[in-house]
Amino acid sequence: MRGIMLTATSFALTAAVLGNAYVQKKQFYPSVVYITKSHPSLAVLYLQAFVLVILMGKLFKKVFFGQLRAAEMEHLIERSWYAVTETCLAFTVFRDDFGPRFVAMFTLLLFVKCFHWLAEDRVDYMERSPVISWVFHMRVITLLVVLASFDLLFINYAYHSTLTKGASVQLVFGFEYAILLTVLINVFFKYVLHTIDLQSENPWENKAVYMLYTDLIMGFIKVFLYTAFVAIMIKIHTFPLFATRPMYLAMRSFKKAVHDVIMSRRAIRNMNTLYPDATAEDLATTDSICIICREDMVAGEPGAGGGGTCKKLPCNHIFHSSCLRSWFQRQQTCPTCRMDVLRLSVAAASQRLRQQGQQQQGGVGQQGQAGPGLGQQGNGQVPPVPGQGMPPFPPNFQFWLPQFQGGVPFPQPPVPPPPSSAAQPGASTATSPTTTGAASQGTSPGTSPGTSTATPTSWGTSLPNFPPPPNMGAPGMGGMLPNMFPSMMPPFMMPFGMSPPMPPPNFSGLSDEELHAMEGMERQHVQARIECLKNIQSLLDAAVIQMQQYSTLISGLGMPTVPVTPASTHTTSATSTVPTPTVQTGESPAPPSSPINPETLTSTAAQPSESSNDLSDLEGAVGFTSPAKETKDDAAEPAAESPEEQERNEVRRRRLQRLSSSETSTS
Amino acid sequence: MAGSALKRLMAEYKQLTVNPPEGIIAGPVNEENFFEWEALITGPEGTCFEGGVFQTELKFPTDYPLNPPKMRFKTEMFHPNIYADGRVCISILHAPGDDPMGYESSAERWSPVQSVEKILLSVISMLAEPNDESGANVDASKMWRDDREKFYRIAGELVRKSLSL
Repeated sequence: MRGIMLTATSFALTAAVLGNAYVQKKQFYPSVVYITKSHPSLAVLYLQAFVLVILMGKLFKKVFFGQLRAAEMEHLIERSWYAVTETCLAFTVFRDDFGPRFVAMFTLLLFVKCFHWLAEDRVDYMERSPVISWVFHMRVITLLVVLASFDLLFINYAYHSTLTKGASVQLVFGFEYAILLTVLINVFFKYVLHTIDLQSENPWENKAVYMLYTDLIMGFIKVFLYTAFVAIMIKIHTFPLFATRPMYLAMRSFKKAVHDVIMSRRAIRNMNTLYPDATAEDLATTDSICIICREDMVAGEPGAGGGGTCKKLPCNHIFHSSCLRSWFQRQQTCPTCRMDVLRLSVAAASQRLRQQGQQQQGGVGQQGQAGPGLGQQGNGQVPPVPGQGMPPFPPNFQFWLPQFQGGVPFPQPPVPPPPSSAAQPGASTATSPTTTGAASQGTSPGTSPGTSTATPTSWGTSLPNFPPPPNMGAPGMGGMLPNMFPSMMPPFMMPFGMSPPMPPPNFSGLSDEELHAMEGMERQHVQARIECLKNIQSLLDAAVIQMQQYSTLISGLGMPTVPVTPASTHTTSATSTVPTPTVQTGESPAPPSSPINPETLTSTAAQPSESSNDLSDLEGAVGFTSPAKETKDDAAEPAAESPEEQERNEVRRRRLQRLSSSETSTS
Repeated sequence: MAGSALKRLMAEYKQLTVNPPEGIIAGPVNEENFFEWEALITGPEGTCFEGGVFQTELKFPTDYPLNPPKMRFKTEMFHPNIYADGRVCISILHAPGDDPMGYESSAERWSPVQSVEKILLSVISMLAEPNDESGANVDASKMWRDDREKFYRIAGELVRKSLSL
């Protein structure tokens, strides 16, 4: 009513203005001049134009839409306000071009936009209404065609205008119409999909998927257009503030489309792989109604009921696969009991993985066991060199991944040591232990150097997780475990031979369950390592005690003392390999010894390529004096100083012989 | 035929017409649009809302039943769990997934198992037993907790108002 009043007033005013002009000037041309010169007359005419536009809009609405629904009206008004605000912002950018023509163009744009929105709403409505008449189809199709031609016309105009006259406000119009065109194409695709859906007897299963992909592609085009627009605008004018809101919305909807597509693909994959089809017996035991669509379910008959085959979840609830798929797109739980289906299936998968892992774990244990084995051997015979000798320690261990276990044996040591040097230390330690009494330590039965060739039982107590090493000397043990080092390489070479497994290039390629499984095993491994370290620590304790006993024995014999002996450096280097410094507490610190000693040490280690720099530092702190063996060492050291390995080996052999002979003699 | 959402809504409408639960009348406002319903709820007996007939509207999303409908009281209400504009705040009407605020577990939220009937029954029980822990209308929550008499008086007025409509 009020609208009619306003319209009538506007028409009356226009008539009055025109009549007044004509009465005053009597002729056409002077009247026009008079009207354009008179501001009130112009205002009235502009108002009239606006009213005419609204009337046109109403006419189009009647033709193409009939009665608008409340929701559509609401949408329209809300969006119109945003559009008007943005238009006002656009005016600020193009204030130089501002004029009646410019305002008219924007009004027209707004007008066309409104119809695009209405078309979008109308097509969405198709999904909701059970009755779609042919009038509806006619209207939608003609509307789409008219709007598309409008858009193309304006895009074309803007394009040519920009080409001929350079960049102007037409750029904005061109982009706006291009975006409207993408909206229109999107609406058209949806219309086609809905129409196909309406034609078919049953709900069309794949419609949702097609809709998702349409959204994805159109969203991408929109984002692309907006980005290009903003880039061009920044280059030519300034940042287009009025485009930020629609651009943000376009990006958000694109992101959502991407997310939806990903979720949908995952849901489809899960559906196809994780859950079994429901059988007729399954359906017979339930009430055979899909709780999602409230339709009957029929087993194994595609296209039946609400949607094809039925799927059974691990919780024994059965649904149509299409219903379930669209639900899983949103939520990975069972609709009925809300059990987390994905987590459950992941748990099952990781269970499987873990079982595999445990099989491999055996292999790992055997490999990891080489570490402690070494520690003992090193104690008994030769000090392992820090930094090189302990691959299983935490830094490396982090990457002790399942895929490196079991299947990949340790590589052979790069430089095999001379076999003679390997055999002799073993012999020497085997002969030495009885005097030490270190094995009497209750806490670590297998820790004294002498017992490095201990029996399986002592191994079993000290290292419950690990089977004994293959070639650790005790007869009969070889049969207990797979012969991992069939080449019978010298035992103390094992640490050097063990190259740490390489970490995987990155973790991104791993799925959640794989990571989970890895983590699960890693915990066990860490525990195993800690166990190893404890064992090594007690071994070192024992060694220290043993050495102290040696020294007391030898000092009791009244031999002249020398600051450092090979035996003491054994312990120092051995302790230096242990991260925990507590091992050294029992020892009396000694003055730093000559840097020669590490050399002799390394020679005894029979490891060609190791560096002894660390040793010389550490040794001063932890070494302790032993009165014995000075003479022997004096003899040995000059030779050891020469860097040649052969000589070292020679020297070490000699020294070990003397050592063992002296020990046996003292005992 | 049409989409599964429409089918399901039609099935629910049929179910509600054939076998209506006590105190509930519900159906689409317009048979051409099954996604907007109107429902009449009677106040539960033995509560301060007894005797009232409350008009509500339900708006269903196109992907119903995967997402919950929105419910709004058209009659003026004064209740801890109803916003001043009539929107209903109950957990089963909240979109599935865990509450970002960590307040509700996903088990309380929407799932396709729910239906219009269950929603309306939940709303009736909500009218009977307001949950003042998560107040949508803070004034009503406070009054429900502190000044029960006044709350009853206001509710009684609203009941009379609803009947005079």
